[in-house]
Amino acid sequence: MKISLDVVLKDRPGQLVKLLEPISQKGGNIISIVHLRETVKEGRVPVHVSFEIKDSSTLEEILEEIEKRDIWVSKVGELSHKERYTMVLVGHIVDTDLRDTIDLIHEVEGAVVADVGLTMPDPDMESSARIVIDVHREVLENVLERVDEIARKKDLLVIRPLGV
Amino acid sequence: MDLQIIGFGVIGQGFAEVLARKAAFFKERHDLEFNVVSITDITGTAHDPAGLDLVEALRVMEREGAVIGYPGAEKMSGVDAVREVEADLVVEMTPSNIETGEPGLSHMKTAFKEGKHVVTSNKAPLALRYRELVEMADSKGVHFKFEASVGGAMPIINLARENLSGDEVTGISGILNGTTNYILTRMKKEGLPIDTVLREAKELGIAETDPTYDLEGIDTASKLVILANAIMGTDASYKDVKVEGIRRVTPEAVKLAAEDGYVIKLVGEVADHHMEVSPRLVPKNHPLNVDGVLNVAQLKADVAGEITVVGKGAGRVETQSAILSDLIGIAKKTA
Repeated sequence: MKISLDVVLKDRPGQLVKLLEPISQKGGNIISIVHLRETVKEGRVPVHVSFEIKDSSTLEEILEEIEKRDIWVSKVGELSHKERYTMVLVGHIVDTDLRDTIDLIHEVEGAVVADVGLTMPDPDMESSARIVIDVHREVLENVLERVDEIARKKDLLVIRPLGV
Repeated sequence: MDLQIIGFGVIGQGFAEVLARKAAFFKERHDLEFNVVSITDITGTAHDPAGLDLVEALRVMEREGAVIGYPGAEKMSGVDAVREVEADLVVEMTPSNIETGEPGLSHMKTAFKEGKHVVTSNKAPLALRYRELVEMADSKGVHFKFEASVGGAMPIINLARENLSGDEVTGISGILNGTTNYILTRMKKEGLPIDTVLREAKELGIAETDPTYDLEGIDTASKLVILANAIMGTDASYKDVKVEGIRRVTPEAVKLAAEDGYVIKLVGEVADHHMEVSPRLVPKNHPLNVDGVLNVAQLKADVAGEITVVGKGAGRVETQSAILSDLIGIAKKTA
């Protein structure tokens, strides 16, 4: 099962390890970590972590251990199902290595490129591609950031869906 | 009520035409009479405290293309006209210059200093110096209304400020530029590249000779800023908006989007204090999917939920609906 966990850590060295140790010791597979550094308040940082574990009794053991370590758990739940997002890209998509673009998106944990449609009207002109990405809502921001980075580097126009 | 018209191009002349045509209606329905005491364009000012003949003014424009041709008109600038001609209200309809906001900015400030109300269709001064203008009008105790600056006939600012006055608007999204919406609609229907459609739009008078402001999203960004400032109380300038226009949108992109159930629209969006104008994928059955030169805006209100308004975004006559609504609103408040 996939777990989404929100905690608040003290803003000092070594705190993230204190959170991650119990998860990995119980065989958990970390999917993503988001460190919300811009929202540090009163010396505390919110951190979001998603991970995969065997069953709910393992989860309870992990939570118990985390709380023992004086970490505040603000929210815990099962990770939502993946949602599907379509984007359209315009630019020199093939010349700037489409394979690499897809790999870079796959580097974001939990994101899977489910479909690619490509149209090249003329080798000299900009081509257009539709990319369908399956991703958990929780890590969508990471995917969008990654796509933005790729677009900046490869000079691509990204047409995102409304509301994303 | 004595009015001054500053700016006598397409919108200014449309205003004079509608004002002349509907004079009896204003009297009968609202018990209001409007007297245009001066008209200014770049060539000069025609003025008469007893009121100008609007039909004659329109005839002069058709014949000579310049206000200076009106009998007795002089080489008086807009600022001087606002300063020297006695009137209650200035209708400012000069073209928008997004770099400086001029000459509209000076017309508005001078009007406030003279204790005159202002109704305007001019976006640039608002997109650049919103807070300053609103505060100046307030301090002089005059009204300042600008419904026509966004979305032409589509009533959005007054709707939000008056009919939704108990709501907090937390987000705005919309298609605020008719030219680009027309272009994207034609690209979708005919599978044509943007240059071909743009040429057609220019021939039809839908796109201006220099369509840069429209295509680059600058016009949409200016309107978005006005909406955010007027409805959500922000203090933004159009330079705060992240802007991407439609120049790079290809017919292939439009087709790829359509295959997945989307249309591509140039959308302006304010959400969580982030303002952005960019081409977006809009689901075919979404209320923002309106075609042709139509504009649409959707407000997210905390009590009412989502409210969507659709209307003609521009046009010589349609824009007058917004100007008249502002004008009558002020006339009734000050009667």
